[in-house]
Order: sequence, then C-alpha cells, then structure tokens
Amino acid sequence: MMENNIDEMVRKLLDGDRRMLARTITLVENGRKGHRNVMRQVYPHTGKAMIVGITGAGGAGKSTLTDILIAKFRKMGKTVGVVLVDPSSPFTGGAMLGDRIRMKKHAQDKGVYIRSIASRGTMGGLSRATYDIIRIIEAFGVDIIIVETLGTGQDEIDIVHFAHTCLVVFTPGMGDDIQAMKAGILEIADLIIMNKADLEGAETFIRHLKGAVTAADIPEGAWVPKVLPSICVSDKPANIKGQDEIIEAIYEHFAFLHKSKSLDAIKFQRLELELGLILNSELQNLIFKGLKGTGLKKKYINAILGGENDPYSVVREILDTYVLHRKDA
Amino acid sequence: MENDKKIKVVITKVGLDGHDRGAKIVVSLLKEAGMEVVYLGMFNQVEDIVQAVVDEDADVLGLSYLSGEQLIFTPKIVEEMKKNELDDVLLIVGGTIPVEDIPLLEEMGVERVFRAGSLSSEFVEYIEKNIKK
Amino acid sequence: MSQIEEIKADDARTEEEDWEEYLKGYYEKPNSFKTWSGLDTNEIYTPGDLDREKHYKEKVNDAGQYPYTRGIHANMFRGRLWTKREVVGIGSPADTHARLKYLAEQGGTGLNTIADVTYEMGLDADHPWALNEVGLTGVNITNIKDMETLTKDIPLDKVSWSLITAAPSATATMAQYIAVAQGAGYDIAKLRGSVQNDPIHFGYCGFKPASPLDLALKLGCDVMEYCTLNMPKWYYTTVNMYDLREQGITAIQEVAYGFGIAMCYVDELVRRGLHVDQFGPRFSFYVACHIDIFEEIAKIRAARRMWAKFMKEKYGATKANAMHFRFAVHTSGCSLVPQQPLNNLIRVGYQALSAVLGGVQSLHCCSYDEPICLPTESSHLQALRTQQILAYETGVTNVADPLGGSYFVESLTDKIEEKIEEAMAEIDSVGGMYEAIRTEWLDRKLEDEALLRQKEIENGEKLIVGVNIFKSPMEEKTPLGVQRVAAESGQQQINDVKEQKRLRNWDKLMVTMRKLRDDAVAGKNTLPAMIEATKANATTGEMIGTVREVHGYHYDPMEVIDSPFDFS
Repeated sequence: MMENNIDEMVRKLLDGDRRMLARTITLVENGRKGHRNVMRQVYPHTGKAMIVGITGAGGAGKSTLTDILIAKFRKMGKTVGVVLVDPSSPFTGGAMLGDRIRMKKHAQDKGVYIRSIASRGTMGGLSRATYDIIRIIEAFGVDIIIVETLGTGQDEIDIVHFAHTCLVVFTPGMGDDIQAMKAGILEIADLIIMNKADLEGAETFIRHLKGAVTAADIPEGAWVPKVLPSICVSDKPANIKGQDEIIEAIYEHFAFLHKSKSLDAIKFQRLELELGLILNSELQNLIFKGLKGTGLKKKYINAILGGENDPYSVVREILDTYVLHRKDA
Repeated sequence: MENDKKIKVVITKVGLDGHDRGAKIVVSLLKEAGMEVVYLGMFNQVEDIVQAVVDEDADVLGLSYLSGEQLIFTPKIVEEMKKNELDDVLLIVGGTIPVEDIPLLEEMGVERVFRAGSLSSEFVEYIEKNIKK
Repeated sequence: MSQIEEIKADDARTEEEDWEEYLKGYYEKPNSFKTWSGLDTNEIYTPGDLDREKHYKEKVNDAGQYPYTRGIHANMFRGRLWTKREVVGIGSPADTHARLKYLAEQGGTGLNTIADVTYEMGLDADHPWALNEVGLTGVNITNIKDMETLTKDIPLDKVSWSLITAAPSATATMAQYIAVAQGAGYDIAKLRGSVQNDPIHFGYCGFKPASPLDLALKLGCDVMEYCTLNMPKWYYTTVNMYDLREQGITAIQEVAYGFGIAMCYVDELVRRGLHVDQFGPRFSFYVACHIDIFEEIAKIRAARRMWAKFMKEKYGATKANAMHFRFAVHTSGCSLVPQQPLNNLIRVGYQALSAVLGGVQSLHCCSYDEPICLPTESSHLQALRTQQILAYETGVTNVADPLGGSYFVESLTDKIEEKIEEAMAEIDSVGGMYEAIRTEWLDRKLEDEALLRQKEIENGEKLIVGVNIFKSPMEEKTPLGVQRVAAESGQQQINDVKEQKRLRNWDKLMVTMRKLRDDAVAGKNTLPAMIEATKANATTGEMIGTVREVHGYHYDPMEVIDSPFDFS
C-alpha cells in the first residue's frame, strides 16, 4: 500500500469510517507493508478507552457474559469495541471463530464494533498484533474495549498486562483447575466471576474462592479481588442476573486505579510490555532480513545440530555481526 | 514483520433455515485447510450478515441454503454487499441447489455454487485460487 | 521421432494405460468390509455364530411373540400392507391440500402433511421473520381457517392423517386438528392418525429458541396425555430417530439416542400418573433407513427387541401392544446426492426394501430430487410408485421377517443390540438424555460424528457413486424439473392471516386466552384450552407464545414481537 494511501486510511479511520477500521486491522494483523506507519499515526489517538479483559477456560460462558456486558454498557450510552481472540490450530494454522454467534443482538448497532481474531500460534495468548488492534480500535474512538481470550493456564492470560480491569471467569466443576492455579488467579484477576452460579456446587466454590482471597497476602492499599456470582446462560430473562454488579465492580476498580494512582503504574507496565514486544519482533525481523540469502541461518543450525556450536554462542555471534557491528559502522 | 496472510471466511445460514450440519462441517474443513473462519450460525438477517463481513473484513462469504431460499435471499445479500462496496469479497453458495439455479445465482453475483456432495478438496482449492484481496 | 510417430506412441501409451485401468477394475475388490456404522463383518456366518437353541426362544421368537424381534404381528403384511405415505407440505394450505388430493388419487394410503419452518418455530404467517419463508419447506397453519382449508372435503373419520409438526407448536397443531374435527361434528375418539410431537428433538436440530427443553417436555406430554385419555386411536408422538440419524450419527447411536429421548416422555407420562399399559399402545417411532441394507434391518430388529424389554422390565407393561416398537420409516435424505440424480431412485429402492424386510408399519420414500429441491408432482409420484412396486410386484410381503434365522442377520442383530446398550450407558454416564441435551453434550457429539462421516467420504473410506467414485460432469438440468414455491402463495396466506386477525371477536378471544394462561400457570394440561382458543380464532404464535411467557421465556422465539394480550 502506498504511503499516501496509508495516510488516507488512517484519516478515514479517525473520522469514524467503520469499513476502514476493519481494513486497517487486517493490514496490521497481517503485518502488511505500511503497518508501522499506521501504528505511528494511530498511536497519538490512543489511551482514551477503558479496557476490560475477560478470560477463562472454554465453556465458561465468556461470550455470553460479554454479550450481556455489551448490552449494559450500551444502555449506559457507551460505545463498545470487542476483540474476540480464539486459538489457531497448531497443526493447520486455521481457526474457528465462533464467539460472534452469541453477540447477534448487536449486529445492527453502530455503537458496537466486534472483531474476531485468531491467536496465530502466539505463546501467551495475545500476539503483538492484538495489542495493535486494541490501539486501532481506541483510535477509532470507542469508550470501552472488551478483549475476550481463552485462558487455560497462567501463561495464556497476559491480557492482564494490557487491560485496566481483568475478569477471570469460572464455572462450578472447575474446582480442580482452580486449585492448581489459585495463586496465579489472585495475581491476575481483579474480578473473579463465578458463572453459571445456578449450578450445583457454585456456593461451595464461591466460598472457597472468597476464602482464598482473604487468606492471600495482599499488600495494604492494594486492590482486593472481588468474587462475583453470575448467571447468563439461561433462556429465561428473569434468571439472568449478576451482570449489573459486575459492571459496578468494573467501575469501582477503575475508580480505585485513579484514586490510588495505579493507573500510571499500569500505563507504565503496559508500555514496558509493548516496547518489549515491538523491539523483539522488529529486531528479529531486522536480523533475519540481514541473514536472508546468505545461507548463514542454515549453516548455524547445522553447526548446532552437529554439536560444533550452541544456540547461545550463535546468537552472540549474530548480534556481534548484525547489530553491534552495524552500530559501530 | 510480514506474516502469512490467512484467508478469512464468513460462513452463515440465512433466515430461518435450520439445517446447519453441512455449514458446520464446512467450517471445520476450512479450518483444517488453514483458514480463519467466522461462523455466524442460524437465524441471520441479510443486513446482519453483511455487517459481519464488513466488520471482520472477510475475504470470502459463504451462504448455506437447504430449504430452497437461495433465489429469495441471495439478491438481497448481493445488493447489501454492493451498498457496502464489498466487491472484493468472494461470494459462494452451498447446499441443496438445483442445477437450474446455478446460472441464475451466478448472474446475481455469486461466483461459485457448491452443491451437496462437494468435497472439501474442491472448495478449498477454489477459494485459495480465487480470493480477490 | 517425427511428430506423427510421437502422436502414435502417445496413443499406444494411452491405450495401454486404459487397459491397465480396465484390468484394475476387473480384479477390484470391495474397499471395506465394515458396515456403514463401522462394525466389522466376517467372511461368512455359520451356525457357530449363534447358539440357536437358546437363541431362538429367548432372543428372537416368532413374529407377534415377545420380544417381537421378528415383527409385532404374527402375519405381518398378510394382515395389512404398510401405510404408503408421502410427505406433503408446499406453499399455502390450499396448495398443500391440492397435492394431498393428487397423491390420494394415485393410491397413497396415508395423508402426511409437514409443517414449514415458520410453523415449527411457532411463528404466525404475518411474523416479520416469516415474510420470505412461509410455505417454503412445508405448510404454515396459523389459525383454524388454515386447518379447515388443509382438510377440506376429506372424511377425517375414514383417513389416517399424519401431522408432521415436531416442535412445541405441535400442541397447537393438535388443537387445530381437533377444533376442526369437532366443528365438523366428528367424534374425536374415532380419529386415526399421528402427530410427530417430538419437541425435545427440535431443540438439538438447531431450533433451540423455539424449543427450550422444559417447555418442550411440558407441551409435548400435554398432547400425549390428552390423546391417551381422549383419542385412543391416535399416535400422539413419533419419536424422531430419523432426524437424529440425519445429523450424521451411526445406526447404533440413532436407536440409543432415540430411546433416550423416548424415555424422557415415558418417564414424564408415568410421573403424571398414567400407566404404561394405558399410553404404551400408541407410542411410535420414526426411523431412518440408510444405504447399508443388512445393518438397517438388524437395527430395526434389535430396536424392536430392546423396546419390548424396556417396556416390560423397566416400566412394567403387561399388555402386548404396550411393548410394541411401532415405527414409520423415512428413507435417508442425507444419503442422496445431487450428482447423477437419477441414481437416487436406486438408493431409495434399496432403502425402502430394507424398511419392508425390517417389518415397517408406515413408509415414506424420499423423492429422487430430495438433495435438489422440494419434490415435484412427478417425483412425488415416482416415490409412491417405488413403494407400490415393492408392495405389489416383488413378493416381499408374503412372509414375516424373511431374513430371520440368517446366521448373519441374527448375529448382526445381537451385535447391534450390544452396541446400542454401550451407547446408552455412555448417555447414562453424563446424567441421562435430558442432561445430555441440556448441557449440549449431544450437540457436541452430533457435530463430531458429522465431521467423521464427511471425512470417511473425503478419504474414500466410504464410497458414493458420483461423489468420490465414477464421477461425471454436472448434468444440465434436473430430470423431472424443479419444484418452485410461488411467492404469491405465501403472500396470499400472510394477507389472509392479517385479515382473519382483524375480523375476529377480540373479547371472545380474550376469554379463551385468559383460560389458556390460567391453565398454564396452574400447571394443567394446556391442550383443552388451546382447542377452545383455536375455535375463537387464536393463532399458533399467540397460543404458544402465551405459554412460553408463563414459563419465563420471551413471547416470541425470535424476540422481535411482544404479546398482544394484556392479562392484567
């Protein structure tokens, strides 16, 4: 894409052109030519939305909860962006993005933008592109961004580093899982949601969770995670409950961040993370570009395979040649 | 960071047609072929489907018909796609479609019709070769 | 080599390759010895495969004798041929009526009408979502006038009518049929026929919004209870194993899951205080016959034996006909393909044969154009003729269970029974069928199985002529033409319904609707109130919607319109 087209694209996006928003996201997601330029131009317009992360195991009812939260935020007059992340198949690279099905009610609402993306094999759940996508939707201009990711283990829930408020969703019957990761949950969850709270075992589970929170060694003045019950999978409207309290808690947590000045700390953390990720990928990109066509990559790998060299020494050598050397030159 | 562009497909049922088994199988087979597939399920209105294609910036829209509504809904979808300038989206149709309807659908703007009994090798290859973006 | 020589050499080579192909075909063996459902078969079956002495009395027995493996009647078709039904549902009630009369004049012996998707969903013809769909896949009955049009000039006390409405709206269908019959002066106790009324199955078939599980069980059993007490000749449910099978599962799973659903109804009827001897004689099933001839026959025989055992041992049936597994067969629609469409005639013929050899009570043959469009008049007639050739030419009706005693068929029947038991145990392990459906275990299972079936075709494990073997270019036209539903047909009905709603006496309507609501709130059987409401011109959507609301659901399954009634 030509640079002036990129300018045009970003201008339209900032003007609220929804189709351009969608196309810009694709360009960045695929690392197409011009994506750095897009991000440079978009960046000054970011930082205004409240970001809510929702994570939890498959079948926990995250999408249905997201659907209800969207409706509630809309009722409050807020515009909402939603990023739904589903895992890519490690074997084929394909992905089934089926969460949108649960959000049909908002299909015609111009105040809601929903985008399904595949994790594309990134360890740790969210790829750098995901952060970029969140930034782009922020720049497009929504009040709230909900990011839904599949979290099955501690290393897959790094949305916590990016969101203002992080919801971890459980259901009764996940008792064993939670036992294994109790400590981890308290570190990442601002709100612990006990979904399907009408099922057997929910009360006991909630009691255990609350006990864990009380017993945890939370420093004074820090946020104490809340445990909230929720029912959002009943067909009967009257049975669906708990989401107003979740919204209240989200705002309460947001207010706490303001008051305790943790918001600045979060911003700092987030930038640290982004900077690291961008540096990582750009550096790798740069180096592999340099190696391209030299046959060196193959030579290095064969040397390691043959036992004549080791990965650490190889990386050092590459850095010396392509980074440190360049700097000298 | 150039990475491989993945083909993004939206698969959907239209209107009240409740036969979704075939559509779901197609979703799974496209996923296995390395594509990223957004499945919209049943009970979708024309405008909702096209809005999803816009928001997801899909390369392909696949409509599944098993109850004989293809000649009713397809022109409405094509019109809505035009309104949204989606001329670079590959529109395909699958399901129980009489051969007599194939030229009619093609005239409306459908690029290819896959009847029941089509194998995934056929439609995967077709999509890979014909996406317009 | 000159160019000519080159061409000659090429020709020779091609010819040689052709002959290679020919020889390969000549020596070809079957590519699999498994049944369609994946059971292994032996090269030959011998007396050693059965313990025949013990086997016969206990497990097989004569037709008409417990456990009814060989048939529910001693003389089977000598007593009465099966009912030859062809499913009809097209356009407006008037259009459907016309096709019904046509088939009856051609020798069809049962009237079969099927609801369209709007009717199944419980939507009136004037519902916003119904606009493009009325009459497309069946017939929509919104009010009593529609049912009157459908049944016009047909002597309801003489015919056997099969009403195919599966969803909770089947309760409205029954109310409409009864209201019309009573209006015409018939004694409903004398009416013969059936209503599909398997609302649980409608939930996993993709129509969840219209079939919440608790409401499905409640409304479905209202019909079953009412008919048991008031219409002794009426088959008040036809548990739809067929639709289950068409999702892509095996013959074994078809029976296992179908029985699971059937028992949800049986349990509820027993809970309501009915005895299985009271309602058992009018319980019926809808079975698929797929392409594997012996497997389908063995499946039917195993199902007959198992159902008799369940009814006797689990539910304490003492009357013979309360133990009978009565079933209609619908040949397998999903086994038919649009490629080389006339081949479907042959497939349907084999499938119908296995249904008859299995001892079917009522048969519907798919039209050859099933995977293409709604049946045309000619394809409908062709399907009926397929049945008539079987019944009148082939001699298969002479003897009850002609395959009984076959080493293979008896052995396969035993094996399938064993496998069905295993599949039922799996359902028990997830908490029973109700739980399996509620937790969407069944949905996931059906999805996985459907994908497996497709993979078997993709990788050539299962062969389908015209699809993955012996392919030919696409035909240029559909051999017997294409059935279209005229848009005017649906539009006419929408207008009629609007007019009917405008003309009716609102106060009279309100009285009956209030009664329906009160009965639903009190947990009473809703059918009597629905019959009266129908007579006061209440519509399908209004009656089902009102009961939905009482049960805590949105009035409208699509959640776009609200109840027109103010009950406060």
